[in-house]
Amino acid sequence: MPLLSVSHLSLTLNAQQILKNVTFDVDQGEVVGLIGPNGSGKTTLFNVLSGFLKPTHGTVHLREADITHVSPAQRAKLGIGRVFQNFGIFREMTLEENVLVALEALPKEQRMLLGDLREVVRGTLDMVGLSHQGKKKAGSLSGGQMRLLEIARTLKSGKELFLLDEPTAGVSPKMTKQVADLIAELKKEGKTVLIIEHDLPFISRICDRVLVLDVGEVVLNGKPGEIKHDKKLQEIYFGADPTA
Amino acid sequence: MQLIVNGLIAGSLAALMAGGLALVYGVLGVFNLALGQLSLIGGMTAWWLHGPMELPLLPSILGGIFVGGIVTWITFECTVAPFYRRDRFLPLVTTIAWSMILDAFILLVFQEYPRSILTNEKHFLDLGTVRFSLEQLALVLVTFIFISAVAWMLHSTSFGRKIRATVQHADAARSLGISSSFLHRVVFIASGVLAACGGIYMGIDQNLTPTIAFPITIKAYAAVIAGGKDNFWGTILAAYLIAMIEQFAVGAPWFFGAYIPVGYQQTVALVFIIVILLIKPSGLFSRQLRTT
Repeated sequence: MPLLSVSHLSLTLNAQQILKNVTFDVDQGEVVGLIGPNGSGKTTLFNVLSGFLKPTHGTVHLREADITHVSPAQRAKLGIGRVFQNFGIFREMTLEENVLVALEALPKEQRMLLGDLREVVRGTLDMVGLSHQGKKKAGSLSGGQMRLLEIARTLKSGKELFLLDEPTAGVSPKMTKQVADLIAELKKEGKTVLIIEHDLPFISRICDRVLVLDVGEVVLNGKPGEIKHDKKLQEIYFGADPTA
Repeated sequence: MQLIVNGLIAGSLAALMAGGLALVYGVLGVFNLALGQLSLIGGMTAWWLHGPMELPLLPSILGGIFVGGIVTWITFECTVAPFYRRDRFLPLVTTIAWSMILDAFILLVFQEYPRSILTNEKHFLDLGTVRFSLEQLALVLVTFIFISAVAWMLHSTSFGRKIRATVQHADAARSLGISSSFLHRVVFIASGVLAACGGIYMGIDQNLTPTIAFPITIKAYAAVIAGGKDNFWGTILAAYLIAMIEQFAVGAPWFFGAYIPVGYQQTVALVFIIVILLIKPSGLFSRQLRTT
């Protein structure tokens, strides 16, 4: 049984078809990369999966339950966590508050299992080496640190499926490695990750499978090694070879 | 000195009205143009309970707050909830329409007479250069307590953190599981309760007439816009600042000892908004004290 099942998903916005018959499954514990040129519909697909947009046609199932019309907050309670391209952190709140508010948003039963929330907050910040900055405002962090904070916060708030939108965008090479390590940590813990990236070597390193989206359609679906040399991928990124 | 005290009294009233509005704008991203009418309904209800119904003052005040809250809730369900997710500017139109309906209702029920909640003689304190009533002192203190309570709620409670998170990044807050519809209702009703308190405040300090609803709304929005729109603390500061400017504009001599006529006092808030927006379009405190 796949954890996430996307079936014949289409979305039309302002008379323009953004997603066309998108169908794919993601198994528990898989790390799946979602690549494609700008405007191919990757972030829109994430918006549909996290409930911010309703599809025109098609369904989204999480553990066989139909969540197509479930709100973003409800999806979060069901275990879907989103890391935003434009940093989904609360810049005027301290690092501790950023983690605490995520824990406080959990359903009561889940929250009770965590024990002392302040301890969990400390542990979360420790995990990404930011515990010494806990009282600082999150807006004072570097791009990479913000990204680490956001991923760690999502991880500790008990999510099962992670939607990571360009986690290495605007992040230094050193921090990119830390982000990759954190994603490896997610995989080790049996979490499922769907990740949008433009950095193909990064995707090849960390993903079990890659989906290639072009003009709103899934055009390739396979292991990174298999699709890396696919002619279609070359065409999408570099255009058709005129000598061919 | 008297002008500063007067500014403090008028500023407390404006802060009460505008603080809630800043939270509403920050959390929902909408403007409620029926604020003045909601405030009048709170004040008029307290007057009716204390005057014609002869209830003691405290239950009358609580009754005014309760009715103000209920009417605000109805306002949200009828004129905001069905529209604001489609386009956040739609409530601008629907709340104007609602404000006209409420205006007609207030005029029909309470008629166009000035109504004062306290009809007996007020107790004044004379400190030489400064004179104010005990009621005014109580009102300033109550506002201070309200603002402190809101500050405590925002910074020290789980609910407050959720409000601040929603103000700062609504999508991230929702994707963490923070239910926006519950939060939106509570914040909107809380802003109406604060407005009702403002109406009661006015009914105790001065008197209430159906025609003051619109100027109340304008003055509150002047503070919200000047303060940085979704900035609670900026709005509170701007409310006091505008009240001080209003007092000094008509209370102090300008141009060779000439005074600005009192009738122009209301326009000072509007001129203030225009000047602020020309100099700093994002609001006076938008950078120093961003958001809540």
